[in-house]
Amino acid sequence: MTERTPVETTDAPEPVAVAVGDAPAADAPDVPWLRLDQRVVWVNALRLLLSQLPAVIALFVVGVNPSVVWPLVGIAAWGVLRSVADLVRWIRTRYRITERYVERRTGLFVRRYRSVRRDRIRSVDADAKLLQRVARLRRVTIGAGQVNTAGESALTLNAVSLAEAHALRGQLLGAAAMEARTATDGAAADHDAAERPSGARQLAGFRWWWVCYNMFSVWAYLTAAGLLWGAYWMALMFGFDLGGWVTGLADWDGLGLLWTVLIALAATGLLGVVGMAGAFFTEHAHFRLERVPTADGTVLRTSQGLFKTREISRDDKRLRGVTLSEPLLWRWMRMTDTTVITTGLSMWSVAATILPRGPMSTARPVADAVLAEPDSPLAAPLRHHPPAALRRRVMWAGWLTAAACGLLGWLGATTALSADAWWITALVLLPLSLTLAYVGYRALGHSTAGRHLVVRSGAVSRATSALRRDAVSGVRVRQSLLQRRLGLATVAVSTAAGYGAYAAPDLAARDAAAFAADCLPTYVEPFRTQQADPPEAD
Amino acid sequence: MLWAARALSLVTPLILVLAACYLLWSASRTWTGPLLVVTGVLGAAYVAVMPPWRYAVHRWEVTDEAVYAAAGWFVREWRIAPLSRIQTVDTVRGPLDQLLGLSTLVVTTASASGAVTIRGLEPGTAREAADRLNRTTQLTPGDAT
Repeated sequence: MTERTPVETTDAPEPVAVAVGDAPAADAPDVPWLRLDQRVVWVNALRLLLSQLPAVIALFVVGVNPSVVWPLVGIAAWGVLRSVADLVRWIRTRYRITERYVERRTGLFVRRYRSVRRDRIRSVDADAKLLQRVARLRRVTIGAGQVNTAGESALTLNAVSLAEAHALRGQLLGAAAMEARTATDGAAADHDAAERPSGARQLAGFRWWWVCYNMFSVWAYLTAAGLLWGAYWMALMFGFDLGGWVTGLADWDGLGLLWTVLIALAATGLLGVVGMAGAFFTEHAHFRLERVPTADGTVLRTSQGLFKTREISRDDKRLRGVTLSEPLLWRWMRMTDTTVITTGLSMWSVAATILPRGPMSTARPVADAVLAEPDSPLAAPLRHHPPAALRRRVMWAGWLTAAACGLLGWLGATTALSADAWWITALVLLPLSLTLAYVGYRALGHSTAGRHLVVRSGAVSRATSALRRDAVSGVRVRQSLLQRRLGLATVAVSTAAGYGAYAAPDLAARDAAAFAADCLPTYVEPFRTQQADPPEAD
Repeated sequence: MLWAARALSLVTPLILVLAACYLLWSASRTWTGPLLVVTGVLGAAYVAVMPPWRYAVHRWEVTDEAVYAAAGWFVREWRIAPLSRIQTVDTVRGPLDQLLGLSTLVVTTASASGAVTIRGLEPGTAREAADRLNRTTQLTPGDAT
């Protein structure tokens, strides 16, 4: 497992990988200190100009009243401050590569010095924002084997020229990285081919038709609302009344409320869909998922992005499984989200997702490749759960609806709420909850296959999780009163990876002990009795 | 006893608050009145029924390979944690525990949801079990994170 090296110097018995202080080390004084590339200054100047542009246009070209324009002036002032700070940074930053260290010195008022031991360097990545990419600059991030999941690095050089970035990578990572580059020399596609280390195996590439799976969602309306609100204020700053323009488009009163609402919904929906499609392309263009061998083993690396490339590497040693989740409303499209179950990452972080939303036909092969088992665990047939599970869910649906209606009826009788509310709610809730209960029942399943155990559950989002059995750190069998009546039990395995606990709800009680024993071999056996009941103490 | 004390400590403040509301705040009597009655009845039933039921269900065992605990009354849970996955072993004594002379053994694993809690042990037994676990876990390296 990669060890975590501290960033501050301590009195460790052996020298630490990254040392931070405010005085340079006395190592190899004859190696010269290098500057960052000169084009950083030009990029900076260009950015300054661009940040002043909105305010200039608003004040002088369009001639708007200055009091409305203060956000743009704020942006302009912020742009000036940033440019000055960046210029100072460029002037004061120096770096050098010696035999054993990579060192960087920066800062005007607060002097900072950082050094990284060369034998601790695990990754050298190069990325760039749009302006930097146009100027053929790259920001080099050097990783020294700390928890490097979301791009946290030990040392960053922002920015050096393209040739210098490649030279650095070759020099710091060794000969392996050089081979991949020599074939494509100075080609226009410098971003992907030249930086791919040898031996990488691509698992998935970008497909433009994935946009269909990402466009349609409830978030479309939120996106549209955000876009419209932003556009309204921007237009106001340039003297254009967006609200007045929309009201002038058609005779809304003549059309009537229903049509107005429908047209408004359709228009915002369309705007939101277009906005989400744009966001998808900006975020996921040039998407690539590959398994890359590094000095320590292999990592799963995704790189994506239109203007700014973002690369995330996930250590294969920490990988424990894969989850495929399918949202209910889009199951006819077979829309699937693919995430990995791994330690060292919060399950709610973006880094756990390894594919954009797409069809099952793409997600399954990728999941199988990630799991890298000869017989894919996800192909193993899932054991169905007994019909008693459906009865349990239907009972819960019934009780909840009854409780809601009872509450509404009581409120209708004692307070000012309409007395009809309770049966209207019943009419709506009952079919909905019954459908959810049935869908939830059909989604249940569990099995063990080779080194993995597979559980599936969930009504609104059906999640199939394949988890390594040796990653299981405890098992929990739970049985409520209703489950006892119906002869069911829920088995949950706890693990350090992913969500922490993966459950197979509502198994038949006689199978629960067997499944628990399968999940945690050799430890559950001593506690079982030979009856068909859940485990009892002996 | 422990469970009776815990049940009482849960129910009594609720009833007291509701009674105070009822007596002091006459405008709310329409809903605090029935709520007080319902809570009183349910609370009395809870205090009477839960402790003996729990006492009949709770079990625990520590072997050389795993920790096992069975708990619950309405909803029963059986938890098993292998020794090789254990990260910490705690003995905890809350205020009620100290009054009644009991202690709780908490065994955590690498997973946030994997802790095995055994309540209502005698302090000597809890300490002995903790010592035994500490000794055996030191012999097994790694914790499968």
